[in-house]
Amino acid sequence: MEHAAFISLSVLTLACALGVVLSKNAVNGAMCLLLCLAGIAGLFVQLHAYLLAFLLVLVYAGAVVALFLFIVMLLDMQGGQPWRFRRLQSLAGFVAAALLITGLNLIAERGRLGDGAPVGHEVGSSLKLYAYQLFTTYLLPVQVMGFLLLISMLGVIVLSRRAAEGEPSK
Amino acid sequence: MTPLHLALCVLLAPLASAALIALFLRRKGTMAATVSVAAAVFVAGGALALAFGGARFSDASCEWLRFGSFSISLGFKYDDLAALMLSIVGVVGLCVHVFSLGYMHDDAAKARFFGGLSIFMFSMTGIVLADNLFMMFIFWELVGFSSYLLINHWHERKSASDAAKKAFIVNRVGDFGFLLGIILCYWANGTVNLTELGNHSPVFSRLIPLLLFCGAVGKSAQLPLQVWLPDAMEGPTPVSALIHAATMVAAGIYMLCRIEVLMVPQALHVITWVGALTALYAALCAVTQRDIKKVLAYSTLSQLGYMVAAFGLGSVGAAMFHLTTHAFFKALLFLGSGSVILACHHEQDIFRMGGLRRKMPLTFWTFTIAVAAIIGLPGLAGFFSKDAILALAYGNNPAVFAVLAFTAVLTAFYMLRLWKIVFLGNPRSESADHAHESGISITAPLVLLAALSIIGGYTHAYPSAFEGVFSRIPEAAGATHAIIFAVSIGVLVVGAGTALAFYATDGRDALEEKAPAAFRFLGELRTSFDSVYDYYVAKIQQRGAMILNFVDIMGLGGLVVRGLGGAAEIVGFGLRALHTGRLSNYVYWFLFGVVVFWAFAAGVL
Amino acid sequence: MTPTLDAYVILSSALFAIGFFGVLVRRNTLVVFMCLELMLVAATLALVAFSRFNGTEDGDIFVFFILTVAAAEVAVGLAIIVALFRTRQTVQVDQLDSLKH
Repeated sequence: MEHAAFISLSVLTLACALGVVLSKNAVNGAMCLLLCLAGIAGLFVQLHAYLLAFLLVLVYAGAVVALFLFIVMLLDMQGGQPWRFRRLQSLAGFVAAALLITGLNLIAERGRLGDGAPVGHEVGSSLKLYAYQLFTTYLLPVQVMGFLLLISMLGVIVLSRRAAEGEPSK
Repeated sequence: MTPLHLALCVLLAPLASAALIALFLRRKGTMAATVSVAAAVFVAGGALALAFGGARFSDASCEWLRFGSFSISLGFKYDDLAALMLSIVGVVGLCVHVFSLGYMHDDAAKARFFGGLSIFMFSMTGIVLADNLFMMFIFWELVGFSSYLLINHWHERKSASDAAKKAFIVNRVGDFGFLLGIILCYWANGTVNLTELGNHSPVFSRLIPLLLFCGAVGKSAQLPLQVWLPDAMEGPTPVSALIHAATMVAAGIYMLCRIEVLMVPQALHVITWVGALTALYAALCAVTQRDIKKVLAYSTLSQLGYMVAAFGLGSVGAAMFHLTTHAFFKALLFLGSGSVILACHHEQDIFRMGGLRRKMPLTFWTFTIAVAAIIGLPGLAGFFSKDAILALAYGNNPAVFAVLAFTAVLTAFYMLRLWKIVFLGNPRSESADHAHESGISITAPLVLLAALSIIGGYTHAYPSAFEGVFSRIPEAAGATHAIIFAVSIGVLVVGAGTALAFYATDGRDALEEKAPAAFRFLGELRTSFDSVYDYYVAKIQQRGAMILNFVDIMGLGGLVVRGLGGAAEIVGFGLRALHTGRLSNYVYWFLFGVVVFWAFAAGVL
Repeated sequence: MTPTLDAYVILSSALFAIGFFGVLVRRNTLVVFMCLELMLVAATLALVAFSRFNGTEDGDIFVFFILTVAAAEVAVGLAIIVALFRTRQTVQVDQLDSLKH
């Protein structure tokens, strides 16, 4: 049963990923991305990371992909060229991708990762547990993340303001 | 003050005087002259005090430079030989300094002249006192430099600056051999200290003395490097007297005497013949000269040949004895000629002088004494020293004896020619007519040197100070003594008589008129060496230099320097092509980097 | 039966590779960005799988950070694209090559 779920979810994910990459229309691509994220969320659930699945859908699918769609529609590209299939480039890309897969799996082989079953005790997705960890062991990264968000916010404001006022960009 | 300190002060006093003149007294000629003469007085006094004080030391040295196991040290070796040489240098130097006060009185660059004289005194003292060959070489070069400086005194004249360059370059050629000899000596014997020197190893035992002799060939103007000395007469007369007659050119002989322990029979044979041939050659060239100083220059060359031959025949004593007496009478000859030149308003052609016997009696008598000394009139200094050399030659090598005897005939011949044409007869030009004796600064040195030329030959009159040298003068015994005496007198009479009879005092060169072929031949003899050198430099050396120039420009400049730059440029071009500006290309490069890292991690690379 | 860790690793690497392929091949900058997000998500999946199979929660927590960074990056990146569009009037990657020699 778990296996079947896993297989179907992974097929969904992969198919939608291919859709993102191969779709001619940017909006279509964004929709495929959405579905892909849904698949990933399902996989998270299967891994008992419920909070994360939820967060994924909320933050990623809800905010990030929405932002993408906004921008796609903002940049109204009527005269944009349709995606042409260029053989050499695609072949090169395919080779690159194959290389990546091979490489990553070779590393996995070396580490002999596939041996054990998932460890017994249910770590669970206790929010309390995560929160505790975030505020003790990982306090520094949390602060850094806050800082990062602040900076990016400022950056976005500056960038969009300059463009809006029509100054020549740097 | 210990003798060592006195010696040090004697060495450094002229240096201090030169420094003072160079730094502060450039425009103040009279004060510079005074300082320089004071230094000369100190040097002469110090030298005589040291010599007759009896102190001798040879192990005072300090290390100067050190390269691993090799070190150059500076030190003094003061034995009888050094005492004798230093006394000569001091006394003759003092006479010349005093003479220059009068001679250079009206010269515009007096300060530079006296600075040069002081530097020369410093360098010469250094050569005399040096205790190892490296130190001697350093001062050797310094002496060459001061000679350049002083020959070049009237540098507005192109002939003077050319002559100075010639002197320096020819000397340099000899010094190259000298340096090679020193290096080889160090390599073969492990030391260049004159006290410790000895033939410790048989390797190069014939080559080393010959190479060291090259230095003497250059400095003492032997064949084939004698070309610079006649041209060096472009310098003022006091310079010719001091440097190119009495002291600097004698430095070669002195050096030979210092290294006599290294000599081997084959080398000595070569040295003897070089000396003898130089003597003959120079005497032949002197017969046709018109310039009073050139005659004396060739005479110097000839006498130097005598000294070198004497050394080659095996006697340090004879060579040094002749060096001593020669210093006195040659300096006297030059200073006398300087007095004559000054009185005739810088006229140097002997055929425009004449009748000076009555106009300048003191100069005439001192000059006569000097001429008598050089031709070997019995009783005067030159007689004894020349006799010693002839005796030595007679005993060892008849061929050399014949050459030296013939040269003595020629010596008498041209000296009497000079004497007669300059002093006897009637004045042949305006300036000679108005000649008169100059002041005391000119005449006093003449008198002193005349006195020394008379008494200088009586070696037992010298205090025991110079025993170490004079005891080695060969004495002829019995029958040989009589033969040599007869030969000397005969030579003198033949040469002098011929000259007196042959030449008239009416302004014409009798030889030129009566035997023009011989005259021309002798004239050619003079310039033959110069033309050979000229040919070599112009044709061979210049062409070699042009080839090297071409190689330098093309090879080094083009290939190496600009080639490396070009290679860098090509690499730059290649790298430039990688910047396409396209995102996907950069991402491929990322992947490539990742693959490389993986290969590392997997142990493939 | 539960899928092994191997399976998750293969899946994650496949997703990553697909995303990489998209970055290399697509010419629309926005689509490139979406493929970039795909790669990040693949990494997230791997992290969660590992943390589950090792019994710790460190991997999960790291996902928080990835999420945050992804959000910030998207915001800034899109702002840049908009600014770029306003000057160049294009977002095709092969026309944005003014860094070319």
